[in-house]
Amino acid sequence: MEPISGQAIYVVLLRELKRFWRAKPRLIASIAQSFFFLLILGFGIGGLFGGALGGSYLTYIAPGIIAMSLLFASVFSGVSVIFDRQFGFFKEMLVAPVSRTSIISGKIFGGALTASIQGFLILVISTLLGAYVIDFRFALGVFGAVGVMLLITAGFVGLGVAIGSALTDFHAFQLITTFVMWPLFMLSGVFFPIETAPLPLQIVMLGDPLFYGVELLRFCLVGTITPILGPFGLFIALGVIVGFTLAMIAVGTVLFARAEA
Amino acid sequence: MKKISIIEVKELTRVFNGEVTAVDNISFTVEEGEIFGFLGPNGAGKTTTLNMLATILRPTNGTASVNGFDIHEDPDSVRRSIGFVFQDPTLDIELTGRENLDFHGRLYGLSKKEREERIAEILEVVQLTDRADAYVKTYSGGMKRRLEIARGLLHYPKVLFLDEPTLGLDPQTRRAIWDYIQKLNQEHNVTIILTTHYTEEADHLCDRIQIIDFGKIVALDTPDNLKATLEGDIVGLTFKETAEAQKMLPILNEIDWVNSAIPVSGENSQAGMSSMIQMMRSMGGGGGEMMPAMGGGGGGGHPSMPKDPEKITEAMKMMAEHGGLMRSFRNIHLLVDDASKRLPEIIKRVDKVGIELASVTMNKPSLDDVFLSVTGRRIRDEQGSMMSMFRRFRTMRQARGGRTPR
Repeated sequence: MEPISGQAIYVVLLRELKRFWRAKPRLIASIAQSFFFLLILGFGIGGLFGGALGGSYLTYIAPGIIAMSLLFASVFSGVSVIFDRQFGFFKEMLVAPVSRTSIISGKIFGGALTASIQGFLILVISTLLGAYVIDFRFALGVFGAVGVMLLITAGFVGLGVAIGSALTDFHAFQLITTFVMWPLFMLSGVFFPIETAPLPLQIVMLGDPLFYGVELLRFCLVGTITPILGPFGLFIALGVIVGFTLAMIAVGTVLFARAEA
Repeated sequence: MKKISIIEVKELTRVFNGEVTAVDNISFTVEEGEIFGFLGPNGAGKTTTLNMLATILRPTNGTASVNGFDIHEDPDSVRRSIGFVFQDPTLDIELTGRENLDFHGRLYGLSKKEREERIAEILEVVQLTDRADAYVKTYSGGMKRRLEIARGLLHYPKVLFLDEPTLGLDPQTRRAIWDYIQKLNQEHNVTIILTTHYTEEADHLCDRIQIIDFGKIVALDTPDNLKATLEGDIVGLTFKETAEAQKMLPILNEIDWVNSAIPVSGENSQAGMSSMIQMMRSMGGGGGEMMPAMGGGGGGGHPSMPKDPEKITEAMKMMAEHGGLMRSFRNIHLLVDDASKRLPEIIKRVDKVGIELASVTMNKPSLDDVFLSVTGRRIRDEQGSMMSMFRRFRTMRQARGGRTPR
């Protein structure tokens, strides 16, 4: 087969960025959704919990809301290969003398980058709402958070590509939202700490890759991590996310390469 | 000019999901510089064949070479040799025309300088220079199609594949696209392979036409030769009253040089010839000698001619549905050996019964009639899947300047 082509990766990446930037209504809707979550849940439910979490509820959910925005943006970006392949621009790329690996690498880079930009905007908004204590540790943490964002979004774009390649019917799109996105999001420990959940639920939550992503973001931005992962929780979470991301990129690439136009 | 074959297809077969044979053991060659057409209804296997030649679909069996490169052994060189304009629009409408072309150039490894020069040149050819920096979503259907053709040519391919190049376009735009295709073929010596289910498009554009049905080649020749195989003319008679037409039908059918007389309901007169040929096929005898076997080895793909009465009744029923036989009719179509010679005689016979004709037409068999005679079906009997309907709808919407549902 054809070798990896830098130009091809660049074309797909550039296309993702241009489309992202030009689709302003979509960007605004996505940011606004996260903003409402932060504002209404953060301050609304926050009153109910009081100081039970050792800080404000806004502080507790803010990293999770960032993760939500990352999850939805990246999985949808990956799943969009259904449309790209069936109707769109990818068909034109598939007859070009470039390898599918290059195409999908560009898709994953592009998807991760655009989703992370959205995540970063939520990070800025939540900071302005007063979710974090701004100090030196936080300033360093922001860099870590950006790295974590790129890592988990690459994994979830890979997951999206895998789903999008395996499914040939775009009607299944709704099913993906209901049976993949929402469970991943609800089980990731965004709204409640895993320690307070009953044991069976805890076990399920530990199987959710996004849970580790949320814990990593929370560690970077707030400085806390769930005690349930033990003394090396940070490294466990990091290990799980790196493993998940690599696996998803591999699965997505293989499935995409195997699928026929 | 010496003829060099640029595409050689050998026993190409594609089976989907182990059961649906979309392309069934086809072999043919295309010569350099030809405009070669695949004519067939939706689902005949045209696009599947094109996709295999373009190396985006793996054949189940058989092979092909494009520009001397084997599709199995050297797909990369095949891809460099071809341009492909898909049936569905594959432009990115959120990008400008120039960006779409630039991305294409990058994918084919053109340098920055090459891209700039060729984009300027090709935009001139398709007359889109002044709209190059507008978003494609603001283009009309014809402009989009022109941009897609331009894009397919940017890397100077030896062969350009056009899959249903004018699907859903209005007649004026279709004409313009036809002119472009001919110009490209003549001035740039690009071999063009196109698929279509518009017989008039195949007739107008193609040097040679391959009729494909149920994945098999059923005829392959020049448009004129294909039409010449249907000897005779069609005479259309229009009566003032249905009763008169009904009265005349058996009388006309009795005449020995009338190969067939078929009633055609007013609103569906297009179906006339179709019904006629269908009836001749159904009867098995009658028009047999008028229907020389066509397309060489393609005969195997024909539905067999029914002989027993039950099947004939069935065929009549089918005709009734398609040709409007049971509905009121005022037209009768006759297939005769020579219309100019027989017309006075026909009029005399009608006159003798004391009936006055409203009008008379004479036509040469068209490519539509050829299609019918080799497949036993009309090309427009489309039973598209949901997906093909959706695609059609979408193409037409885009053609009208609507936006793609996302």
